[in-house]
Amino acid sequence: MSETKNEYKLLLPLVPILAIIPYLALVQGWESIDAAIFIVAAPFVAFPTILILGQVYNKNKTWKNTWKEGGILGLGALGVSLSAAIWILFDYLNGTAHFADHSVSHWLEWISFDVLQSDYTMTETRILGMGVWIDSLTLMLMFVATFLCFLICWFAIGYMTTDPINEDSNHRFFAEFVLFSLGMFGMVLADNFLWLFVFWEIMGLCSYLLIGFYYWKDSAAKAAKKAFLTTRVGDVFLMVGLFILYDIYGSLEFSVVFDDPSTGVGGALVDSGQMFWALTMLFIGAVGKSAQFPLHVWLPDAMEGPTPVSALIHAATMVNAGLYLVARMMPFVDVHHHGIAGLEDFGIMVAYIGGITAFMAASIAFVQNDIKKVLAYSTMSQLAYIFTGLGSALYFLNTGDYHAGYFVLGASLFHLFNHAMAKGMLFMASGSVIHEVHHAHNLLSLSHGDGDHHDFDPQDMRNMGGLASKMPVTATAMMFGSMSIIGIPLIGGFWSKEGIIAETWAAYFHGESAMLVPAILILATAGMTGFYMSRMWFMTFAGKPKNEVVDYVYENTPWIKEPLLILTLITAIGGFALALYGVIDFLSNESTHLAMHGDHGVVDSIITQLEHAFLPEDSQIRMVGWVTIFLALFVGPIMAARIHGGSLKDGETATPIVGWLVNLSGKFGTQDVSSLAESDLAEALQNRLYFDDLYEGIIARTVIPFADLCAWFDRNVIDGIIKQIESNSVLGSVQIRRITTGSARDYILMATVGALSIVALLLGVSN
Amino acid sequence: MIGTDPLTVLTLTPLFVGFGLLILPQLLPSKNAESIQKVSRNISFGVALGLFAFATYLSCKNFSGIDWLDISMGDYILTNEPTTLISSIGVSWIVGADALSLPMIWLTALLIPLSMLVEWDAKKGHLFHPLILIMEGALLGVFVALDLFVFYVFWELTLIPMFFLILVWGGDDRKYASMKFFIYTFTASVVMLIGILVMYFSTDGGASAGSLTGHHFDLIAMGAQETLIETEGLRHMVWLLLLIGFATKMPSVPVHTWLPDAHVQAPTAGSMLLAGVMLKMGAYGFLRIAVSLFPESTVIFIPLLVILGMTSLVYGAWVCVGQTNLKRMVAYSSVSHMGLIFLGIATMQPLGIAGALFMMFAHGLISPLLFAVAGAFKHHYHTLEIGSMRGIAHHSPYLAAHMMLGWMGSLGLPLLAGFVAEVAILIAFWMTFGWLVVLPALTLIITAMYYLSSMQRTIFESNDRHHGILPESLHGEDPTDVTWHENTGMFILGALTILFGILPFIFFDMMSDWSTKLLEDILVAALENQGVNP
Repeated sequence: MSETKNEYKLLLPLVPILAIIPYLALVQGWESIDAAIFIVAAPFVAFPTILILGQVYNKNKTWKNTWKEGGILGLGALGVSLSAAIWILFDYLNGTAHFADHSVSHWLEWISFDVLQSDYTMTETRILGMGVWIDSLTLMLMFVATFLCFLICWFAIGYMTTDPINEDSNHRFFAEFVLFSLGMFGMVLADNFLWLFVFWEIMGLCSYLLIGFYYWKDSAAKAAKKAFLTTRVGDVFLMVGLFILYDIYGSLEFSVVFDDPSTGVGGALVDSGQMFWALTMLFIGAVGKSAQFPLHVWLPDAMEGPTPVSALIHAATMVNAGLYLVARMMPFVDVHHHGIAGLEDFGIMVAYIGGITAFMAASIAFVQNDIKKVLAYSTMSQLAYIFTGLGSALYFLNTGDYHAGYFVLGASLFHLFNHAMAKGMLFMASGSVIHEVHHAHNLLSLSHGDGDHHDFDPQDMRNMGGLASKMPVTATAMMFGSMSIIGIPLIGGFWSKEGIIAETWAAYFHGESAMLVPAILILATAGMTGFYMSRMWFMTFAGKPKNEVVDYVYENTPWIKEPLLILTLITAIGGFALALYGVIDFLSNESTHLAMHGDHGVVDSIITQLEHAFLPEDSQIRMVGWVTIFLALFVGPIMAARIHGGSLKDGETATPIVGWLVNLSGKFGTQDVSSLAESDLAEALQNRLYFDDLYEGIIARTVIPFADLCAWFDRNVIDGIIKQIESNSVLGSVQIRRITTGSARDYILMATVGALSIVALLLGVSN
Repeated sequence: MIGTDPLTVLTLTPLFVGFGLLILPQLLPSKNAESIQKVSRNISFGVALGLFAFATYLSCKNFSGIDWLDISMGDYILTNEPTTLISSIGVSWIVGADALSLPMIWLTALLIPLSMLVEWDAKKGHLFHPLILIMEGALLGVFVALDLFVFYVFWELTLIPMFFLILVWGGDDRKYASMKFFIYTFTASVVMLIGILVMYFSTDGGASAGSLTGHHFDLIAMGAQETLIETEGLRHMVWLLLLIGFATKMPSVPVHTWLPDAHVQAPTAGSMLLAGVMLKMGAYGFLRIAVSLFPESTVIFIPLLVILGMTSLVYGAWVCVGQTNLKRMVAYSSVSHMGLIFLGIATMQPLGIAGALFMMFAHGLISPLLFAVAGAFKHHYHTLEIGSMRGIAHHSPYLAAHMMLGWMGSLGLPLLAGFVAEVAILIAFWMTFGWLVVLPALTLIITAMYYLSSMQRTIFESNDRHHGILPESLHGEDPTDVTWHENTGMFILGALTILFGILPFIFFDMMSDWSTKLLEDILVAALENQGVNP
C-alpha cells in the first residue's frame, strides 16, 4: 500500500492544468459554453505533446516514473475536458443555460462554395463548418465520454505502466488514447452530420492504432485491420447517406435539417422513399461502428488490444457512436414535429437488426472461455438492445404514438448510459483480474524456475475460479456490473432494459405484427444474458480454484481500484437515482431538467417509480415485465450456478458483499454439461456461427483473384499493346541505343547543345 | 525584353541558376569534385528556398495585398507587359496567375526544396540538385505561361530533367523506363501539339499576331475570341486531341502504363516531383485550355469524362490490390486518385470542380510523402517488395509513423487534406449523377484495403518484436531509421497534410470561387445550349 500512496504525488503537476476551467469560470467569468472548445482542444494539444516528448525522452527515468510515460499528461488533458463538460452539464441542469437554441457556438468555416441549380443560376454561398450543438442527448454522451475516458486513463496508468510487455512504448498508447477521446468528444459536440462523420473516422483510425497496439503480434495486427476495414464498409455507406441528406436539405447542419425535416431545400416536400434510403445508408454506418449483425465480426477480435482499450472502445466511445447516430435520426421520423410519414419500415428494420444481433451475440457468449470475449459479445448484445429500443422509438414516433415513442427513446438512451458505466467497469475489472493473474503466474513460474509463459493464458476463465476471496474490490465491481447488465431488479440496467423490452412488445400489441420477432428475441436474450454473465462471474470468482496460480493472486497494483470503486457506486445506485429524477423524460427531450415526479417527497416518488416498473397498468405489459424478471433473475443465473457455481476452497472467505452470492451459487446442485459442450451447436457457436470464415472465404475467392486478374491484365494486355508498338519500331531504338552511352556528362553536353540550338533557331526565325 | 515582374523572375531564376550550375563545374578543373558538389547543392537549395519564400509571399494577401478571390474569368494577376519573342509567328512572353494556377505554383515551389532535402546525399550531387532546379523552372513555366507556344515549350522542357533523373539516378531497369517515359509522353504531347496548331491557325489577327502568319498563340486573346474554331466537328476534334495529351499526363486509363515503370525506376526526388506536380500539369492544362476554350465540347463529352475517370478510379484501385511492389502500388494509386479529378470536372458543379482542384493540391502534398516513404524503404532496406519484411516499425519508428500518416492521408481519412477533395467531389457527384456515386464510394473500401494490407505486411505483423523479419536484401546489415533530412522533408509534408485537412479554406475558397466563375461565365451557356441539366 505504501507504493500506492507515493504514486498520487505524481498528480501534483496536474493542479495548474486542472485549474484552467475553474479559473475561466470563477475569475474570468466565461460562459460555460465557450469552454466547450477546451473539451476538444485539450486532447488535441496533448496528442502531439505526448508523442513527441515520449519519442525524445524515451527510457528517461523521470519520464517513466514521474510522468508515467505521458499518462499523467493524458490524464491532465482529459481532466480539463471532464471539468469543462461537467461545468456545461451543470449549467444546463440548473437552468443557467437553456435549450432554446441548440446550436450554440461556431468554431470553423471549413469550406464554402456555390451550387448550380437546375435553372442555371447559382445559389448563395453555402458553408460546411463545425460548431457545437447541445441537447440532452449531447449532454448525456458528453458526460459519459469525458467521465469514462478520464477514469479509464487513470486505470491505464496503473495497468499499462506495470506490464513489462509495454516497455518504453506507453507514450504511444497514451497519445493514441487522447486522440481517440478527441474523436469521441468531437463527434458528440458536432453540430452537423459531416463533422460527426469526420470525428467518427478519427475514432476509426484510433481503434485501428490501439487494437494493433501490439503491432508485432500477427493476431493483433490482423484484428486491427479487420476492425478498420469492417467499419470502413459501413462508413462508406454512411457517406452516401450524407450525400443524399445534403442533396435534400442543402445543408448538413442539425439546425437547418431538424428545423423542418419535411421540407427540403427551396421548400420542396421531402419524399419518404428518398428519406428511407438516406436513413438506411446512415444506419449501415451505425451498424458497422456499433458491431451489429452482419458487420459484427470485428468486435470480438478487437479484444487483442490492451484491456483499457477494450474498455474505451466498448464502453465509453466508439460503439456508442452508432447508437448516437440513430438517436439523432429521431426528428426525421417524428410526425408530430414535421417528421416525414411513411418510414415505419425503417424503424422495424432497425429493431430486427437489433433483435437478431442481441440473440446471436448472447448465444455465442454461452461458450466463450476468454473473459474479455464474453464481455465483447455481451457488449454486442446490449448494444443490440438499444438498437431494438431505438427501432421501436422510430416506429412509434412515425406512427404518431409519440408518448410511447419518447418513452422508449429515453429508455434506450438511459440504457446506453447504464451500459456504458457498467461495461466500462466490467472491462476494467476484467483487466484487473487478467493483470493480477498474469502477475501471479510470472511469480509462480519464477519460483518454479521454469519459463513456460506461453502455455498459460491469463484471460482464460478455466484458469481461474475462487478469486472472490483474493480480489474483493474487483469481485464486487464485477458483481454489480454483471447485475446491471443482466437487469437484476433495482440495479442500474434494470431501469432501462425493462422499458425497452416492454415497449417493443407494446409495438406488437398495438397491431404491428412484424415487431413480434424482435420482441421475442430480446425477451429470450434477457434470460440468456442472465446465464452468460452469471457464468462469467461464477467461473472467475466462485468455486474451487482451477489452477494453482490463483493462490498467488493479490490486488495490489496502484491506480486500478479507484475507478472500479467509483463506477461500482454509480452502477449500484445511479440507475435507481436517475430513474427517480426522471432521466428518461430528460433524455427524450420531454423535460428540460432532471426533477423528481410529483411533489410529495422522496418516498412517494420511489413508490411511484417502483409501481411503474413492477405493476404497469397495461396487463399485457405487466406480463412481459414479469417474464423478463423471471428469466433474468432466476432462470439464467440459476442454470449458470448449477454448472459453474460452488463455494470457495476450505479456509477461504470472501467479503460479505460478494460472499453471499458465492455461497448461494453452491446451493443449486450441479449439472454436467460436457456432452452438450461437444455438440455441433456448441462447435458452431465456438466458431462464431462461421461468419468470419464466410467473409474470409468470399474475399479470398473473389476480391484477391479479381485484383490479381486486373494486375495481370494491366501488365500484359494494356502495357503489352504498348510494348508491341515499341518492338515494332526497333529501327528507332537501335539509333537511340547508339547514343545512350550512360554517361551523365555526355547527356548534359547533348542537352546543352540541343537547348542552345533551339534558342538559336528561335532567334533566327524571329529576325 | 522580358521584364522583371514576379512570375517571370520566379520562372527564369531557377532555369538560369540551374543551367549555370550544370555547366560551370564542367569548365572548372575536376580535382575538387567534392567541394563543387557541396557548393552546387547549397546554392540550389538556397535558391529553391528563396523561391519558395517568394511564392509564399505572393500567395499571402496580408503580404502582397493580392486578393486571389477577386479575379474574374479570363483575367489574370501579376501579368507582365506582353513581350514579343518571335514576331514572325506571333509568340509572346505572357505570364499571369489566377486561382487555378496559384496553388500549383506554391506547391511546386514547396516540393522542390523538399525533394532536394529528401535526397540530400544523392550521388553526382553537382548534377542532381541543379537538374531539380531546372525542373522547377520548367514546371513553373507551365503554370504561368499564357502563350500556348511558350506553354508547350515548357511542357516539353519538363521531360528533359525528369528523363535524366530517371536515366542517371534510377534503379536497375532505368534505361527502359526513361525511354518509355520520354517516348510515351512525348508522343502524347505531339498529338496535343496538333490540337494547339489547329487552334493557332484559327485565331484572328491582333496586336500580337505574327508578321508572317497573321496568327497568335495568346491564350487570353483566344479566350476573348467569339468562336475560336468555326466548324463544330473540328472543335470536338481539337478537344479530343488536347484530351489525349492531357489524359496521358494525368494519367488516365488506358494511357497510364508509363507511370508505374517511370516511378519504380525514378529516384525518390524524381518520383516526388513526378507525382506531386507533373501529373497535375495534365489536369491543369485540361482545365486551362480544353475546358475554358471549348465549353461545348466539354459538355458534350461529359459521359466520356465520367467513363475515363470512373475507369481510372475503380480499375486503378483494383490493380493496386494486385501489386507486390510498394512503389508500383503507390503509382497505381495515383492513377486511381487522378480519376477523381475527371469525375469532379464532369459534375459541372462548382463544388465538384473545386474538389478536383483541391484534389490536385492535396494529392500534390500526399503523394510526395508516399514516394518519400517508399524511397526511404529502398534506401534503408534496399527493397520495395511488399511482404519481404515484417515488423520493422520497431527498427524504424519514424519511417513507420510517416508511412502511417501518408497511407491514411491517401486513403481519405478525415482531417487530412485528401478527404476534403474526396468529399467535395463525391457530394457534387451525387447531385449530378445520383446513385452512380456508389462506385467511387465502394472504391474507397478497396483503397483502404490495399493501403492497410501493404502497411501490415511491411511494418507490422512479425510475431517477433525485437527483430521483426528483415529483408534478404539487407544482407545482415543492421536496419536503420530515416536520416534527419528525410525525416524533416516527410515531417513538413505530413504537417501540411494535416494543416490543409483542418483548414482547407486557405486554398479551397479561392478554388471554389474560380470554379463558380468558370461555370457562370463559360460553361453555363454551353450547358443551356445542350440542354444538360445540372
